[in-house]
Amino acid sequence: MPPALDLANLPDADVVALAQRGRDAAYRELVKRYERPVFSLVFRMVRDRELAEDLTQDAFIKVLQHIDRYRPEFKFSSWLFKIANNVAIDHLRRRQLDTVSMDGSPHALTSDAVESTSFDVSVREESALERMEAKELGSAIETAIAQLRPEYRSCILLRHVEDKSYEEIAATLDLPLGTVKTYIHRARHELRGLLEHLKQ
Amino acid sequence: MNHRHLLPEEFDLLLDDEVGFGVAPLREHARECEQCRAQLDDARVVVAALEELPQFSPSYGMADRVMAQVPVFVPWHVAARDSAVQFVPRSRLARVAAVGLVAASGAGFTAAAVWLATRGDLVGFATDVAGSHLRSAVAQELQSGAVTLFGPTVMDTLQHGGLIGLGAIAAGFLLAATASAFGLHAIASAARRRA
Repeated sequence: MPPALDLANLPDADVVALAQRGRDAAYRELVKRYERPVFSLVFRMVRDRELAEDLTQDAFIKVLQHIDRYRPEFKFSSWLFKIANNVAIDHLRRRQLDTVSMDGSPHALTSDAVESTSFDVSVREESALERMEAKELGSAIETAIAQLRPEYRSCILLRHVEDKSYEEIAATLDLPLGTVKTYIHRARHELRGLLEHLKQ
Repeated sequence: MNHRHLLPEEFDLLLDDEVGFGVAPLREHARECEQCRAQLDDARVVVAALEELPQFSPSYGMADRVMAQVPVFVPWHVAARDSAVQFVPRSRLARVAAVGLVAASGAGFTAAAVWLATRGDLVGFATDVAGSHLRSAVAQELQSGAVTLFGPTVMDTLQHGGLIGLGAIAAGFLLAATASAFGLHAIASAARRRA
């Protein structure tokens, strides 16, 4: 039996190294350490608690199953957030594809029928359920974040909730630094607009 | 006062509390320009609200649910080291005793090897004696095995008939084997024809 280590006080790189050597406790420590920030990011992205739990779980499973591929020159948290964000974004894209029939019903025979059965994805309205979920998240800022484009949402959450630098966000989301700066600027600008009504 | 209002990216520099070259004049402008100051204050309210957002907790047992689906792979060298570590005594005294025992055994074996190496003639003589004993024991066992298998008459014939007797036995064996092969082939052909 290997000697017991105080994993909670070790830096990420050491805990990952132990996980790569097959230490079950190290795997658990990584989940324990990051379950709240990862779940918070995913929850704010998909705005459904149960779904966020499933997606968070999927993200951790992906990371831990491929822990041997982790390269220590990157921050573990960046790698983890990158996978969690991809899982959430993939889900949002799939959901949009599943629920929006852009070209109308295949059974429509006239142009009016095609128009009446088609959707315009560019003016996606928030459903009552989504509004309810946003309320569950709490304050006006949460509701406003929910209305941002997913790419802006990831950037602004990583910047201000997870306190990541622009460079870390660029590495996490595989985006050029300039794009990250633009997204964050636009997200802040949109949030200001969305919260304007609170000033009165 | 600089009459140019702040650009969007300059607002971001101030919001991110940048301290690099060129930020001081921007800060000064924001202090003096009412319009820019108002915009910056609004943006700061948003940033402060974002930074105060709480983290959410997933339901209890996330680690267990994850670990139920993640096979933990232990590399062979780690497994080997863990197995070896099991045999290392826990207490310091026992570890010292174990090291002493291993060192003493090693020294004993080394001394024996050196002594044998310096007594080459003795080793040669002992090897010869042991070899001849082994050879005669093996020959005796083989002979008794052959008598059990073929009977004393065949062995007697072999011993007295020499090469002629051995040739006769071998020819008889080959004849019997050929006849058996032809017989089996005939039976198989007949079975195929019936099928």
